[in-house]
Amino acid sequence: MTGRAQAGVPGVGRLHTWRAAIRIARRDAMRFKGRSLLVLAMIALPIMGVSAVDVTIRSSQLTTAETATRELGAADARISDAGHGPQPVYQEAVPGGVVPVQQNPGGKAAAKEVTVTEPDGSVAVAGEITPPVDPLVALPAGAHRLSDAFIYAPVRTRFGLLNVEIRELKAADPIAAGIAELDRGRFPAAADEMAATNGFLKSSGLHVGSQVRVRGLDRSYRIVGAYDLPSQLDAEQLNALPGAFIPPYEATRSTAERAMDPSGVPTYLVSVRGDFTWDMVKRANTLGVQVDSRAVRLHPPARADVPIYRTDFGDPVLYDSGDVRPKAVAAGVTIAGLSMLEICLLAGPAFAVGARRSRRQLGLVGANGGDRRHIRAIVLSSGLVLGAAAAVVGTLLGVVATMLLRGTLEGYVGQRFGGLTLRPTELAGVGGLAVLTGLLASVVPAVGAARQSVLASLTGRRGVRRANRFLPVAGLLLLGLGVAVVFCATMLTDSTYSAVLGAALAEAGLVMLTSAIIGAFGRLGRWLPLAPRLALRDAVRNRGRTAPAVAAVLAAVAGSVAVASYAASQAQEDRQAYVARLPHGEVAVGANGEAAGDLAQVRAAVEKNYPVTGRVDVSRVYVGGASCLKDEGLPGCGRIEMRMPPANVCPSSGPTGAHRLTVAQREALVHDWRCALRWGPSAISASDGVLVGGPAVLHALGVRDGAAEQALARGETVLFDRAYADHGSVKFTVIADVTKESQDGTEPAGAVKSLPVHLAAEEEPYGVVAVVPRRAADAAGFTTTPLGSYYTTSQMPSGAQRQALNSDVAKIGTRAEVYLERGYIGHGNLVLVALTLFAGVITIGAAGIATGLAQTDAEPDLRTLAAIGAPGQVRRTLTGFQCGVVAVMGVVLGSAAGVLPAIALRRGDQHRRWDEYRRELDEGWGAVTPPKVPLVVPWATLALLVVVVPLGAGLLAALVTRSRPDLGRRAEG
Amino acid sequence: MSSQPTPPAEPRDPSHPAAGGPSTTGPTASTASTAPDRAVEPVLSLQELTRVHGTGAAQVHALRGIDLDVYPGELVAVMGPSGSGKSTLLTIAGGLDLPTSGRVVVEGTDLTMARRKDIAALRRRSIGYVFQDYNLIPALTAAENVALPRELDGVSSRRGRKEALAALEEFGLQELADRFPDEMSGGQQQRVAIARALVGDRRLVLADEPTGALDSETGDAVLALLRSRCDAGAAGILVTHEPRFAAWADRVVFLRDGSVVDMTLRSSAESLLAGGAAQ
Repeated sequence: MTGRAQAGVPGVGRLHTWRAAIRIARRDAMRFKGRSLLVLAMIALPIMGVSAVDVTIRSSQLTTAETATRELGAADARISDAGHGPQPVYQEAVPGGVVPVQQNPGGKAAAKEVTVTEPDGSVAVAGEITPPVDPLVALPAGAHRLSDAFIYAPVRTRFGLLNVEIRELKAADPIAAGIAELDRGRFPAAADEMAATNGFLKSSGLHVGSQVRVRGLDRSYRIVGAYDLPSQLDAEQLNALPGAFIPPYEATRSTAERAMDPSGVPTYLVSVRGDFTWDMVKRANTLGVQVDSRAVRLHPPARADVPIYRTDFGDPVLYDSGDVRPKAVAAGVTIAGLSMLEICLLAGPAFAVGARRSRRQLGLVGANGGDRRHIRAIVLSSGLVLGAAAAVVGTLLGVVATMLLRGTLEGYVGQRFGGLTLRPTELAGVGGLAVLTGLLASVVPAVGAARQSVLASLTGRRGVRRANRFLPVAGLLLLGLGVAVVFCATMLTDSTYSAVLGAALAEAGLVMLTSAIIGAFGRLGRWLPLAPRLALRDAVRNRGRTAPAVAAVLAAVAGSVAVASYAASQAQEDRQAYVARLPHGEVAVGANGEAAGDLAQVRAAVEKNYPVTGRVDVSRVYVGGASCLKDEGLPGCGRIEMRMPPANVCPSSGPTGAHRLTVAQREALVHDWRCALRWGPSAISASDGVLVGGPAVLHALGVRDGAAEQALARGETVLFDRAYADHGSVKFTVIADVTKESQDGTEPAGAVKSLPVHLAAEEEPYGVVAVVPRRAADAAGFTTTPLGSYYTTSQMPSGAQRQALNSDVAKIGTRAEVYLERGYIGHGNLVLVALTLFAGVITIGAAGIATGLAQTDAEPDLRTLAAIGAPGQVRRTLTGFQCGVVAVMGVVLGSAAGVLPAIALRRGDQHRRWDEYRRELDEGWGAVTPPKVPLVVPWATLALLVVVVPLGAGLLAALVTRSRPDLGRRAEG
Repeated sequence: MSSQPTPPAEPRDPSHPAAGGPSTTGPTASTASTAPDRAVEPVLSLQELTRVHGTGAAQVHALRGIDLDVYPGELVAVMGPSGSGKSTLLTIAGGLDLPTSGRVVVEGTDLTMARRKDIAALRRRSIGYVFQDYNLIPALTAAENVALPRELDGVSSRRGRKEALAALEEFGLQELADRFPDEMSGGQQQRVAIARALVGDRRLVLADEPTGALDSETGDAVLALLRSRCDAGAAGILVTHEPRFAAWADRVVFLRDGSVVDMTLRSSAESLLAGGAAQ
């Protein structure tokens, strides 16, 4: 016998104890591989995701040198016009702000007027521009250069028109190396060739070898290669040789357009001997040229050496970690916390199963002198071991997955990674989360196992542990606190965050109360048949194992129900807020501005693809020369505006109207007809909602008003808003030039035309305020132009017909709009389905784990049942009900708990809307309606969760259970 | 074990001062070489021990006023029918359960007055258990199982293993050191369990039917080992149904309905048991 050994220093002794505990846990984990793998997967999967996200984010953050290469290629610098004319400027070291050294009052140097020559020969000033500077004036002697210019142009694709950046850069030149990565084919070598980004090829439906045509240009280009921009993989860009596209395309634009939009001006990539130093940059600045230098990016000058910071330009903007939005961090922490809670709740029962199966072993440890501390250490070690294994496996898998899926991830992030960046401290932190999760999940089973008496563990006596008395009381308090916070947050403030926090507190309280609530479920037992009664009683008597599983289901279901309720409520609100633009099933074609020329083609496309039964054409009034048809905003172009008699003007409208009234008066005006909301959305938009057309327009708008039709036929204008009626007439102000219109809200100046009017009984059908018969328009001296058509249909066009029409309209390459009134169409059903599925999977998983645990305990009962002659299926039935009971309790409690956050969020919305409403009233917006924020319970989702999921879980458990009892020897320690 | 061990041929002297017959006041048996010494304190002393399970109509008296001292070098067999209180006596003696009344003193510590953690510490340092089967922790090797009480006591793994190997060697079990329980026979497992029960300074072995799951030959080998450890100075209580195993003890205590109905020296017990068998 060896002599008594001393334990030594207490801390060291404790460490030795833990080593023994970890050894037992590690070997046990290897012995029970199935259970270990289950827990490992539960913890490792989220860890894999988080570490993959970390590696992806870090890899996508480029170094300064990598960023410089992507923007400058192999060049030393890029020189460009600083945009302030030929005068000295100051610039930031890394390109950003530029200011002229001498600031003139206008802020711009020597601005030059740009004029427009009208078709009638008149000349108007279109605006002012700063004269351009040729960057080559700052080219150092002996430097190599490569021009780089781009312009946007409408390119014809297989689906229509696409506004695409066309870049003139000799991408194959060594100076440009690194800017564009050739994927296949080659870069253009001739003037009729182009290369295209994969992003462009994807969205245009074209391919290498296709011909590209640009609208308005009478030549085509052959695509000879595909490339990517490493920092913008989804970029839609075409590449041409310098001079191959921009000069011929510029020739198609008017001088004024070119002057007002001077794109296509080249910058130059420059290669010099040595570096392009900060001194060279400052020299270039003296000539009005801005420089983006690689050397300066890599080694920025001291702040004192950057003159721009000595001007009133201010200090450089510094981005640091403090810039991270706290709300995003809070959201991240909340999501991570809830995920950890969910994993703990799911993995907890698995550890409890382990502890229960190892009770003999733990009893032996107790018999050999292990006290509660040692038993706890052994069970906690199982969490530690599996958590650590999950940390290693999850992190490694995350890194490997990132490496394997690099291409896909780069596509998702939208840029090439600089390299695979692994931050050991961050990955260790992520791994630490796994260890923490494992430990937390095993805390409750560890405490439970330690509370078990050694004797009971050794004899295998099945004791029913007394429920914790503290937990339900704390849960009740937390629930009350949570509900109070929700109430305060929604009734007294509009803090959504507080409301959600309150809901989370309440849910945590409910999780703590689960054990007590399960006890209440037990009272239902007496009315149930044998198998469900046994299952329910067993679940209630063994709350220690039932409660975590029920809580896991509760948490998952509550989250899903909360989102589902909120989404359903919002969908209901959207449905209520939906305003139709046409009678159901009707079609409208509208072509304003430059699209007017495509009207005939679009009409033909509609008539070809849709089952249309009648067409009604409408026109609009326009003011000004022929050029105004294309762009009404040009100088010399005007519009008409309906005049409202002063008596009909809402007293609270106008710049000062609201301030003359008290809040009570403003609230009273909400119900005043003069202050009602006007001008809803219209399928065909015309100035002031005024259409020119005949009686058929009324039919198209769903107006059945014989008197109105007769009035139109008589040549009277039909008015749908009585506010504009002025003693039997309606007055239009003809504004000659919109660019000269006063912006101060006063009555616009111009000739006033008065037209006889008929006031229709109906108010503003589908956003139309007035229909002017052509005769009356002509008589008033208005010039009109076709605006569009209304079509009635024999049936609602099908999805295929809609796609066919969209394709035809895209081929025309027009900006004309075709609108089909299909009524309110909800969206987001997919989210609800996904959430329901998620909750279902968690429910089945948690209930399955709890059932496995219950089976371990129930084996003697089942043997007894078999011994007294119970048929084999009783085992299956009991297992099915054990699973179903956990699922039912979880989903019922979860559904109840989930409605609270939804109420909190909706009440928060309501509070905010009412605040906005009151503010609008205060600010004098008369035409506001009190907000309606409905709260809808998604009964279909709830029914699916409460009925179908538990049923499925129970059936699944019953199916996978053996009907014959286990005749093997009793489980080892 | 190379040869069949047999119980000691020489009956112990009932007149030895340490013997004391069926009295409850002192030691009852001794051998010439390692005679239990009345002059020293008993390793285990049970005084007026009572254990009542349940209350009211469900009340069961598992033990009624038991007095028993076990001295160093003494092996006491406890026999009796099922439900007589044998196992309860053993669990109370080892501090796994507490008596309803009376005292349990192990190496001078009154377990009824001690804190739970002190009782656990006592089990680590003074008391060793051997059960009928499944004595070893499946996740640990033989050496680690033997070292477990030491490691739980805070001794380093290296030192624990060293002590465990020494103990196994002492028991002639060194070749089993790195085997896991499922790689050993039942007899080997029980012998390793006895080695664990006596590792370090533990001097009290409580064996609850240690041969119950073994064939008679292996059972004898296990008992021989237990006997030899007691001869070397340990004190032991052996709960058994088998008279032939009880013959290894210095004293045999008969329990019925929680009371000691007879306490006899091994020689008397042998004749009693033989007579009982003949009847």
